[in-house]
Amino acid sequence: MIKVSQQKIDEDKFMEMRKEVIAAWPTLKEIDLEEAVAYQKSLPDSKVFYKELQRMGAEHRTVNFPRAGTPILEDEIELVRSINALGVTCTPLTTDSYTRNGMFEKAQQGLEESIKTGKPKLNGYPIVNHGLKNNRKLVESVDGCLDPRCSAIANSQVAEMAFASGMNGMPCSFFAWFSGYDKKATVAELLTTAQYMGRLMGYYAERGVIINADCHGFLPNSVYPGSINIATQIICALNVITQGAKCVMPQVNLQGCLAQDLGDLRAAPRLFKKYLEKLGYNDIIIPGIVGSQVPLFPYPQDVGSAFGYSCYTAMVAALGKCPIAFVKTIDEALGVPSLEAHEQTYKATNWIFNVVRQQNFPIDNDVIQQEENLTFNEVSQILDKVLEMGDGDICAGAVKAMETGVIDSPFPINMHAKDEVVGIRDLNGACRYLEFGNLPFSEDIKDFHRAKVAQRAAAERREMNYYVSLEDFWAISKGQLIGKPSK
Amino acid sequence: MKEKITIITGTVGVDSHVIGTKIISRFLREKGFNVVALGAQTPAEEFIKVAQETDADAVFMSSIYGMAEMDLQGFKEKVTEAGLNDVLFYIGGILGVMKHDWKEDEEKFKKLGFDRVYPPEADIESALEDLKTDLKAKGKM
Repeated sequence: MIKVSQQKIDEDKFMEMRKEVIAAWPTLKEIDLEEAVAYQKSLPDSKVFYKELQRMGAEHRTVNFPRAGTPILEDEIELVRSINALGVTCTPLTTDSYTRNGMFEKAQQGLEESIKTGKPKLNGYPIVNHGLKNNRKLVESVDGCLDPRCSAIANSQVAEMAFASGMNGMPCSFFAWFSGYDKKATVAELLTTAQYMGRLMGYYAERGVIINADCHGFLPNSVYPGSINIATQIICALNVITQGAKCVMPQVNLQGCLAQDLGDLRAAPRLFKKYLEKLGYNDIIIPGIVGSQVPLFPYPQDVGSAFGYSCYTAMVAALGKCPIAFVKTIDEALGVPSLEAHEQTYKATNWIFNVVRQQNFPIDNDVIQQEENLTFNEVSQILDKVLEMGDGDICAGAVKAMETGVIDSPFPINMHAKDEVVGIRDLNGACRYLEFGNLPFSEDIKDFHRAKVAQRAAAERREMNYYVSLEDFWAISKGQLIGKPSK
Repeated sequence: MKEKITIITGTVGVDSHVIGTKIISRFLREKGFNVVALGAQTPAEEFIKVAQETDADAVFMSSIYGMAEMDLQGFKEKVTEAGLNDVLFYIGGILGVMKHDWKEDEEKFKKLGFDRVYPPEADIESALEDLKTDLKAKGKM
């Protein structure tokens, strides 16, 4: 059993850990941290992730935050440039699944076959195999900044390579890996991996280079309230902040109920601030919130529904004043997005951003406030319990909370998760808890959810259960928010 | 005739998309099958090993991330080598990267040793009917 705590790793120990990380593939040994810091400092503000985000906020703008990853360097440059042309300046760089799993030999084979055949044989960009020279060529050949995506196993290697290559934003969410990417690792193991990245961000921060940590939290794999996700984002943020990271970016998952989505967008930054201050951190930059598209994308592939859904996300992100929005492309249901689909999708969402966000329209009413307060209270109850379980140590508490189901969510990939929580929509389409598992909510909160579920059961004259939850899961594919019985 | 049919489920390779296989597993269990759910990120070899160990009748394999072809290189030979020619192998999902022709997928995966290949929109009820037909043909049901 690994014992975890929020104590900062001292630099000597970090350097020892680092030796093992960079031994994984020859290209990593080319990295010289001092030279990498100097390279980062030489980049213009437009290539600094958090500054770009702050600029969007100041200019009342929302821009797309798409994914873009294809194995061949020239194709990747072309792909990023083509989305740059659509106003995208912060581009998540998708690494391929072999890279994410530390299978660099397989990634090398896939890269070589891709180059040989001219066709992508990997589902992303193998950043470690490409090495500093290619990656810096990519950074210098495109507008704005890149934000590579990885999962637990190779996260330390991808972070080392990315930061040294001039990229300065990256997800830090061990709960995302736990729920969506890693079947066997324990939370303690994943948290430790994220700490390495936090410590690397701390190393750069101590030398004047601020790297943004995207916080994703427990992945919203199904229809259920956002409180678990936001609570786990804050734990992920504190995990890297205690290691020296100075900039964290919340994300709010927009699920289709306007009041709830806008309520969550208001609650998230308040909650981040509350718990950062509670642990004594008053100098952390929160450059803006990402509005992110979940849950199941309309399926099967249908261009009309896909546009409708993507434009909903764009609309809420714009009304919620997010600087960036993570909107999937209209061919999401088919697999890895094409260039053409990127263009069509982002022209549509840009139309909304340009028209709606520019108006800086004030949004407020009782229904939104009710959802905001509910999320605020739920997240606070979860985090207070986590801190209590860790005797004030957020990391130790997170491990215990996960083991006992105090943190839990539907459909996690990881075999250590309880998977006892079930979500369902109420009559207004808001996500509620149908089964709470061991989530640490007060009876008041539980009663609120029960009442909302009971209202729907009465209106539809049927029992609310797992299969109704699955109907809700598929509803968006049918152009609805609330599931209906299949005939 | 077997008293209880055993089905192995899971997502092949390093694919982490787990929702479909979890729903399939629960559905098959509720229909009375003995389900051994391997979950996401299951190497092809593990399907074979567990099928041997559990005397399985069928394998329901999922893949959504487009790289199943690479994960299943030499699968047919491995199945034969393991003496599993009597086991039914079904695969479904998004079986290639980028837009591609479904018919090509079907041919490709049948050559890799799969009895049935399903597009991503296939529903589990129809796969269950296929399974019953195939099991009857083998005298197991």
